[in-house]
Amino acid sequence: MRRNELALLPKLPLLITESADEFDALRDAFKQEIKPRGIIEQMYVHDICAIVWEILRLRRCKVIIINSAFRSALQNLLKQLLRLPGQYEYQVEGEAEALAHSWFTDQEAKKQVSEILSRFDLDESAIEAEAIRRSSSDLELLDRMLTSLESRRDKALGCVAQYRASLAHQLRENSDRIIDGKGLLQLEDAASERPTAA
Amino acid sequence: MASERQIAANRRNARKSTGPRSGAGKKRASRNAYRYGLTLNITSAAFAKQLDKLVREIAGDSKDAIVLERARAIAQAELDLARVRRAKVSLIERACAFGELDPPQAFSTVTQIKRFFNALDRGKLILPKPSDSSATMPSQEPDRSAEAVRRVLPDLRKLERYERRSAARRDRAALDIVDRIKPGNNL
Repeated sequence: MRRNELALLPKLPLLITESADEFDALRDAFKQEIKPRGIIEQMYVHDICAIVWEILRLRRCKVIIINSAFRSALQNLLKQLLRLPGQYEYQVEGEAEALAHSWFTDQEAKKQVSEILSRFDLDESAIEAEAIRRSSSDLELLDRMLTSLESRRDKALGCVAQYRASLAHQLRENSDRIIDGKGLLQLEDAASERPTAA
Repeated sequence: MASERQIAANRRNARKSTGPRSGAGKKRASRNAYRYGLTLNITSAAFAKQLDKLVREIAGDSKDAIVLERARAIAQAELDLARVRRAKVSLIERACAFGELDPPQAFSTVTQIKRFFNALDRGKLILPKPSDSSATMPSQEPDRSAEAVRRVLPDLRKLERYERRSAARRDRAALDIVDRIKPGNNL
């Protein structure tokens, strides 16, 4: 990228926790692939990088949202599994809470949870499923944003191709016109130099 | 292709969708554009200078009025995109710091309001402690940033509409400008 073009395009704002070096590496990778020429193509590359960066940010969030719902998901699941017939949920709430809390650090608690789950033909994927269910409204919104960003990224890539094709077509037409013009001039010159009968 | 009947039905339905009818609704809708302020044109000297530089870079040496106008549209859209992106990051950072975008309300539940009035009837003024949203934020990164994003998701989604519109304006203008390319113009 020419230095003045780089300076002209607005810098992408990053979160405090995000690495500028990682963003530069991403942009360099896209520049290597797309090999932009001219300011408009540079703009598209900049746009594609910004979109991809946001996609990565939202994907990271998605994983963290599910992970942070794990404890409450496990607690909810245990309340359902520990409850005996005729018992209310609040009666097993304490036990479920303690077990869910120690599941993250205590191997014994992890084993105990696995046993409880296996009694109902379940495994740890049931906890993940519950975590996804509990954060489904946020995940749905995130997915919509991701879909929208992915379609914008594809459109921007398509626009680079379309812009290049249009530019190539336009330049070809222009050069044809120049060649034809020159040819015409040469023919005219030749005609004027040719001796006439008179 | 829609049939005559479908077109007529669409027109009938469209006549019903004429926006808010009540005075309050109209007043509220009239302030829609001020929610984020992203549809407003910025007229600061620094912005104008940056815009002019970008226009000159896009249009090159062209004196063609249409090329200049299209170049201005591209540059304006590019700077608008940057503005929306800054707004998005700023919202996430704010939520990261304070836990939410709006200041905490005095009453967050109907029960709290009832308690307040019951106490007032007894001659006591007991205001509930305002909730501290930042206290419910994870203390460690990257969980804190992810939680901030989660809390401002509806706002981010709304901002994305502005982004899409700006990108579409830039794309149209970029294709228009190619048609105006003259030999020797280096776009």
